[in-house]
Amino acid sequence: MFKKALLALPVALAMGATANAQAPEDVLQGLIDALPESIYLNQSEMNIMMMPDNPALWIAMDGEELFHTPRGPNNVSMEACDFGKGPGVLEGAYVELPRYFEDTGKVMDLETRIMHCMTEVQGFASDDPVVRNRHNNQSDHMQIQTYIAMQSNGMEWNNPLDHPLEKAMRDAGEVLFARRAGMSDFNCYACHGQSGKRVRASQLPNANVPEEWSKAISWPAFRVGHDHVRSSQHRVRGCYYQMRQPGMLAGSDASVALISYWTDLARGTPAILPDMKR
Amino acid sequence: MLKKTPLAAGIAAFATILIAGGCAVADAGKTGKVDYTAMTPHELAEYLIFEANGGGFNLSQEMQEGGTARDRMQQDELQKACSIIGDGSPDAETAAAIRQAAQESIVYPEGGIQLGDWQRGRELAWSGFGYRVGHNYDDHDARPVGGTCYNCHQFATDRTGGNVGPGLTGYGKTRGTSDAILKYVYDMIYNPHVYFPCTHMPRFGASGFLDEQSIADIMAYMFDPESPVNE
Repeated sequence: MFKKALLALPVALAMGATANAQAPEDVLQGLIDALPESIYLNQSEMNIMMMPDNPALWIAMDGEELFHTPRGPNNVSMEACDFGKGPGVLEGAYVELPRYFEDTGKVMDLETRIMHCMTEVQGFASDDPVVRNRHNNQSDHMQIQTYIAMQSNGMEWNNPLDHPLEKAMRDAGEVLFARRAGMSDFNCYACHGQSGKRVRASQLPNANVPEEWSKAISWPAFRVGHDHVRSSQHRVRGCYYQMRQPGMLAGSDASVALISYWTDLARGTPAILPDMKR
Repeated sequence: MLKKTPLAAGIAAFATILIAGGCAVADAGKTGKVDYTAMTPHELAEYLIFEANGGGFNLSQEMQEGGTARDRMQQDELQKACSIIGDGSPDAETAAAIRQAAQESIVYPEGGIQLGDWQRGRELAWSGFGYRVGHNYDDHDARPVGGTCYNCHQFATDRTGGNVGPGLTGYGKTRGTSDAILKYVYDMIYNPHVYFPCTHMPRFGASGFLDEQSIADIMAYMFDPESPVNE
């Protein structure tokens, strides 16, 4: 925490630079240059201007400290945790999630993998607030998640599909994406099947356009309207809520399947981490 | 009401979309060792929703329309037929069956289609309240259920509407209030699949989302000469 008072934002950017020379706003600009007519990508000049001062950068700095500090009943840091590229290796790890993990026999996204690390490696109880609280700037979880994710800034989404389970989950996610149910008969295409569409004033990303979709799935992002950093799982929850379908359980295999598919849709397009959204 | 509608009979014969079978899946569950890779994508998706670790959703939550979230996640025949990967159109036979089933689902008010109170309709068209569940449950005793119309449509321009659906500014002014146009709009609100099979628009009447009075009021907002939609 003390570091926050001493370090200026350029240092925060430099931290990102260890993973990639580009700042998140440069990654976004690259997508805009590739698709200048995209209303979704161009929707908020103000957010683009504010990205160098993205509050998520501060959240990530808290996360950095939490990540490297020995914690929990086992008094070990998260450096002992494998996010897919070996213990403690974070560079490029997030854009290759969800993936299959041998130690659990499951396909896991970043959020569930962080929880796994907290409970199985650090020894926290699953109902410990450290593990349970996952939604706000103040949560250890979002701080850590933002820190890990930004080590993949500017890298292309590339979740592996080599393992049969990875492929099965991705394919089930595709079905979930198209699955209509509930009081409104909605599926994900209702909002994400066309370009240039709005729900009220909100510009919608098109899942069929990788440049738009890469930004759409670039979580964690600081949501200006919420004043909080939010996760992929939080976005999924919000979508099902608006679709009048029941609350998807964060970390469920259903949620990981959906996130596997939506990551696959953005494959080969660079991630904006952390992003800033309306 | 929505779940076991007359849609089933009409569409079941024609639907080409896979109706996920649960038999193999359920058996696998009992053995305690479930092989996701042995399932088809549809089987796995259904398994992940309803079975895996107790289900991928908060399935026991009670729904405003009665029943639980488990019931709401069950697809009726139309939802199955229109869950098309890639968002394509249904084949001609399926589309015809959908249209016919939609026509049969529509119940007209006794005494014919009436226009209600445009001022109430204006607020209902604006309101996004109703039938949301999960972490922030809509208590229907607290407020009337809105139509969420502005999510996708523009009406009077003093409020910002979406553009997922067509703009409806000046609707009544440019179309009049003949029986034919009133029936068309009533049908579109009640069950738009009668004209557009597998449209993204909800079935506000057939699903029970909006009651007869609310439909009449929203239609008044669209057609009444006094309504700001028709300024």
